[in-house]
Amino acid sequence: MKAITIALPSKGRIQEDMNKFLNSAGISIIRDGDQRTYTGHIKEFEDIKIRFLSANEIAMELLAGNVQLGITGLDLISELDNKISKEVIILSKLGFSKADVVVAIPNSWIDVSSTQDLAEVTRDFLHIHGRRLRVATKFEKLTRNFFNKKGINNYRIVESTGATEGSPSAGTSELIVDITSSGKTLEANNLRVLNDGVILKSEACIFASKSLNWDKFNLNPVEKLLRTISARSEAINKVEMLFEYLSYDDSLELDLFRKFNGIFSGGTPNLGDAVSLITPEKKSSSCSQYLTSKGYGPIRINRPNLIYFNIDSAWQKLKTEIDL
Amino acid sequence: MKKNVNDIINSLGGTGKLANLLGVNPSAVSNYRQKGFPARLHLKIAMLCEERSVQISNDVLEGATVPKIIKTNPKEYLSGTSLSIVKHLSTDGFNLIDPPVMVSADKVLDRMGENLADRLFILSDQEGLRLCLRPDLTIPTCLYYLDQGFIGEKKLYSYFGKVFQLRLDNSSGPSEYSQAGLEYIGKQDQLAAEIEIFYKVESSLRREGLKSYHTFMGDVSLFSIFLDVMDLPDLWRKKLKAKYWNESDFKALLEDLSFKKSVDNELARRVFSLDRESAADLVRRSLGMSFEEAPVGRSVEEIMERLRQKGEEFSLQPLSKVTVNLIKDFLSISDKPFKALDRLRSISKNLDSSLLRQIDIAKERLEKIKELGVNLDKSQFSSEKGREVEYYTGFLFDFVNSQKGKSIHLGGGGRYDNLIRSMGSKTDIPAVGAAVNMENLEKALSLRSLQ
Repeated sequence: MKAITIALPSKGRIQEDMNKFLNSAGISIIRDGDQRTYTGHIKEFEDIKIRFLSANEIAMELLAGNVQLGITGLDLISELDNKISKEVIILSKLGFSKADVVVAIPNSWIDVSSTQDLAEVTRDFLHIHGRRLRVATKFEKLTRNFFNKKGINNYRIVESTGATEGSPSAGTSELIVDITSSGKTLEANNLRVLNDGVILKSEACIFASKSLNWDKFNLNPVEKLLRTISARSEAINKVEMLFEYLSYDDSLELDLFRKFNGIFSGGTPNLGDAVSLITPEKKSSSCSQYLTSKGYGPIRINRPNLIYFNIDSAWQKLKTEIDL
Repeated sequence: MKKNVNDIINSLGGTGKLANLLGVNPSAVSNYRQKGFPARLHLKIAMLCEERSVQISNDVLEGATVPKIIKTNPKEYLSGTSLSIVKHLSTDGFNLIDPPVMVSADKVLDRMGENLADRLFILSDQEGLRLCLRPDLTIPTCLYYLDQGFIGEKKLYSYFGKVFQLRLDNSSGPSEYSQAGLEYIGKQDQLAAEIEIFYKVESSLRREGLKSYHTFMGDVSLFSIFLDVMDLPDLWRKKLKAKYWNESDFKALLEDLSFKKSVDNELARRVFSLDRESAADLVRRSLGMSFEEAPVGRSVEEIMERLRQKGEEFSLQPLSKVTVNLIKDFLSISDKPFKALDRLRSISKNLDSSLLRQIDIAKERLEKIKELGVNLDKSQFSSEKGREVEYYTGFLFDFVNSQKGKSIHLGGGGRYDNLIRSMGSKTDIPAVGAAVNMENLEKALSLRSLQ
């Protein structure tokens, strides 16, 4: 049986975010040799080898089937190839390095707020200027698919691999398609996202390649790794509320779910149980107010590090996809 | 036989025209008259002379003649169906040319739009210039025409060769196939040119012994003129024309225009209430811009005009049910050609005569095609044919063979008067062309022989 190889980002923000993520999950990355080597292994799962690559290369190595697993941005996988959905599958979204691929236009275009407006402007522009509007981007495929869907055809793509936000003010394009997390760089460059201009909501994901024969690989450590990674991504941005279940109330469980996405981690509780409710962190304050108003309390709020489920969807998905 | 430099310059159109063709200043050409052509231009001038059938004596260009070797003649290596089609197409003055296989990717994309970029094989040369394998033969033929400097002159071309388009559907079919076709470019009697192109391609199919095929015809200009003569606000005419090329967007727009809009853009309403100059000032103030400043890529006036349009939309009455239905009826017509045109005429009888004239021209075109002996029994004319691709500007047609429930596209073509302009010409140059898909024709012929 051969050892599985997972490709991990070797630089940039996604690497920092990932290191934090894996640390919290109790997974330690060991480099073979000093910090400059590009291979390594996972301490807790010795049979899993690591290759450190740029986020972009990871997408290509998955497509080629040269690595079995990989962690990289959804944006890069989506951009890579039309047949990617068949060859590379998302096992799980990991909840970090979140960013959107967006269409951004100059702030001064106060007549434009939607893609519908942009479609009209591109047509007028061709007529007035005798050439097509230029869109600077490194996401050529995502841009084409999105613009096609929105009925925008009178434009040209200008390839841009860095500092795309500066392109309109430098006069090398009129608008851009780029990835943004906070929107601050866009703002600083006097650009604004169209109302319906989000092309893709991206985040780091763990992917599996289908362009290879999985039969000869040892999958035992893969299940353990996926379970741990899922447990960490389930716990990200979640809180656990601990309180005593006072009275039987039919509507309470439903309300908690509808209003606060709250789920009892042990299923529907019995009277007098100490219960544990999992909710998104941003709902925790409103949820605890709701509970105290109903007479519950004291409520203890913890931050869970890992939440394991008995059935792990990432592992299930991998098994189904590779016919295990 | 032209013996001296002055004669050659004069027969190539004179100082100004030759300067244009060579991309140099007229003063340089005047210099050549004194000192002779510089050696680096000998080949180019030899080619210009050959193209225009100007005979030159060998010593003027120091023996430079057009190397025959780069002008491969497809007739020399073709056989069977290909040879017979090419022979037929390259008669009646349609000069057989061999345009370049690699063309500027930017020129192709300028023409076809970015959405088709996924289907091109794009490569770059050492200087970083983006080239692509030709996706059809029309574009390189038109580029050849432009490069030769024939601004509007009548030229007839035929061609044969491989074209390359990436397949997007993962199927393992070939990404290259052969086209044989024709282009009629420049000054022309439009109707006569269309009929000639149609007839030459139709008869070339018939000559191969193919009897059963359907002809689908249309004329994109009819709907455009129809909108021009309808009693509509200009703004909506413009919107309808823009959205015409996408059926579902067009449907949504018709629906949208049937309802009165409520004002949701205060700035647009104010801009519309002002005269253009004050409106531009208002826009400038809203942007915090002085007269010297301009928004990125567009002018204050452009932005003001679009805001005016938005403001105007709120003031317009919605489209009446009668109008919407008339538009839908017009686009729904698809029938045997003469019947279809009669129905278009009766729908349009209360509209401006310029539309009726255009319908009559379409009818005259059909009659003349029929007079040439073309069987129109299996033909169909549809008023919305051609709307899937924003490419043709007038008459267009397709030949489709159906055997055992399979339909095979044999070829087709039409008029594209804005094509050459979109590739760099300063003016529209009329052009009509058509091509046969050779592999599909061979397939249809072999299926037929099995029966």
